[in-house]
Amino acid sequence: MIKDPAYLKILKTGPGTSVQDLGRIGFSQFGVPYSGAMDHKAFSWINHLLKNKEYDAVLEISQPGFKAEFDSPTLICLAGAKVDCNLNGKPVSSFGLIPIVEGDTIEIGAFLQGSILYLGIKGGFQTDEILESKSWYQGITAEYTARKNALIPYFTTQEIPSFTNSKAKWNTSGFEKEAINVYPGPDWELLDKKSQKQLSEGSFTISNLKNRMAIQLEELIPNSLPELATAPVFPGTVQLTSGGKLIILMRDAQVTGGYPRILQFPEESLSVLAQKKPSQKIRFSFLKV
Amino acid sequence: MIPGYRLITPNLGEFFWNEAISDELLRFQLAIKNQVLEDFGDTIQETRIGFQTLSIVWKTAIPASELNSWLESMPKILMLKSLSEDCWKVPVRYSSSTGRDLETLAESKNISVADLISLHSSVEYRIHFFGFLPGFMYLNGLPEKLNTPRKRIPDLSVPAGSVAIGGSQTGIYPSESPGGWHLIGRSPIRLFDPQLIPAVWAEPGEKLLFTPISEKEFDLLIRQPKLPELR
Repeated sequence: MIKDPAYLKILKTGPGTSVQDLGRIGFSQFGVPYSGAMDHKAFSWINHLLKNKEYDAVLEISQPGFKAEFDSPTLICLAGAKVDCNLNGKPVSSFGLIPIVEGDTIEIGAFLQGSILYLGIKGGFQTDEILESKSWYQGITAEYTARKNALIPYFTTQEIPSFTNSKAKWNTSGFEKEAINVYPGPDWELLDKKSQKQLSEGSFTISNLKNRMAIQLEELIPNSLPELATAPVFPGTVQLTSGGKLIILMRDAQVTGGYPRILQFPEESLSVLAQKKPSQKIRFSFLKV
Repeated sequence: MIPGYRLITPNLGEFFWNEAISDELLRFQLAIKNQVLEDFGDTIQETRIGFQTLSIVWKTAIPASELNSWLESMPKILMLKSLSEDCWKVPVRYSSSTGRDLETLAESKNISVADLISLHSSVEYRIHFFGFLPGFMYLNGLPEKLNTPRKRIPDLSVPAGSVAIGGSQTGIYPSESPGGWHLIGRSPIRLFDPQLIPAVWAEPGEKLLFTPISEKEFDLLIRQPKLPELR
């Protein structure tokens, strides 16, 4: 394959569009978050369909109103949220492979189901790798959110990509799933019985405060827990603030925190949570380790 | 100082201590971290230190029962290294223009600005771990007189390099960020550079001393950045 540099030009984008891969593992000792795709499941699916390397970088899109133009032929793949998608003004499916020719434009409209769409490309996007990852993060990579007219590099293949018109089905049941697997966190035992019951039996609402760092829930758990000595936190850690707010830490979360860590989602729950929209309900389905 | 161990998820475990934060506790944390990496390194993805915790992200978790018996044998095999005597000198321009809360903080403590500066810059702080932001050091050793509750309403923007006090802690903001600590000065030193290996110049277990500098020295170091020197 001849590796000629090519660019995806962003013509229009809302906030929260970024390049992501599997993230930076092993740099938390310097205070560096993992980062990486919010929905690892959709991310991996894309690289699998494109026959890419498992860590190849994709574009993460979390708002409608995205439009971009490819300056060279390639093969792309969409996965994650179900969205209205047009290629050169004609509707196409937002699940699966799409061959691209020079000058093609892709446009993302309404998010119908789920909240994060991934646009993967043959060979992966070729932005700078810093601390062993291409994932964008403020203070580490030069860019942390894609802006209008940004050029995202990729390698064109200059040949008609081999492309099996596979009808691989993407399972969308996770979008409606309310019960999400979770483990009690290190500070679960500090909660009184009433709060534990509320967390075990109650239903909780995703608030508007949702980004790559954290998802805040609407319901409060009043508590008188002390502020604790700063301890490690991870994507999936649920913190309970003194004001009773429940904060689910996501991929860009800082590596340590001082709030009680009352729950811990396992890795596979993070992809489900990432696709939840504000006002959707979730319940905690407790697992024993 | 032998910790407890709990498994949180199938691949996340944590050693925890109930002892107060101290050099001695840090010495045990670092020793256990090294020993666990030596004995189980192949099955560990990474470790993270907190003030009273040591988390292990496992590739394949060692059963909790096995780790607990490993811990029981610990006192016999643990080689306790003393903490480093290395102490980094970090220049700080203490002033109202570089630390907007300096005067109010001194006032609230009923001490002069000069006394506040000399209290803050006369102590060697212990570096426990990095967290909060890339390159942010969690330091222990703030004189009790300077302990100050965090701001009720955090500042939307704290400039990079700001030296600040929050609760019983002091620290340097490595990058511009929102923050709830009281700003008393600014250091021209860069704390984190992702292009360098390693990206930070200090290590947990080492010490740090803030050294007051003039406005002229501050401006010069901003224009010609240097890494800090050891004492």
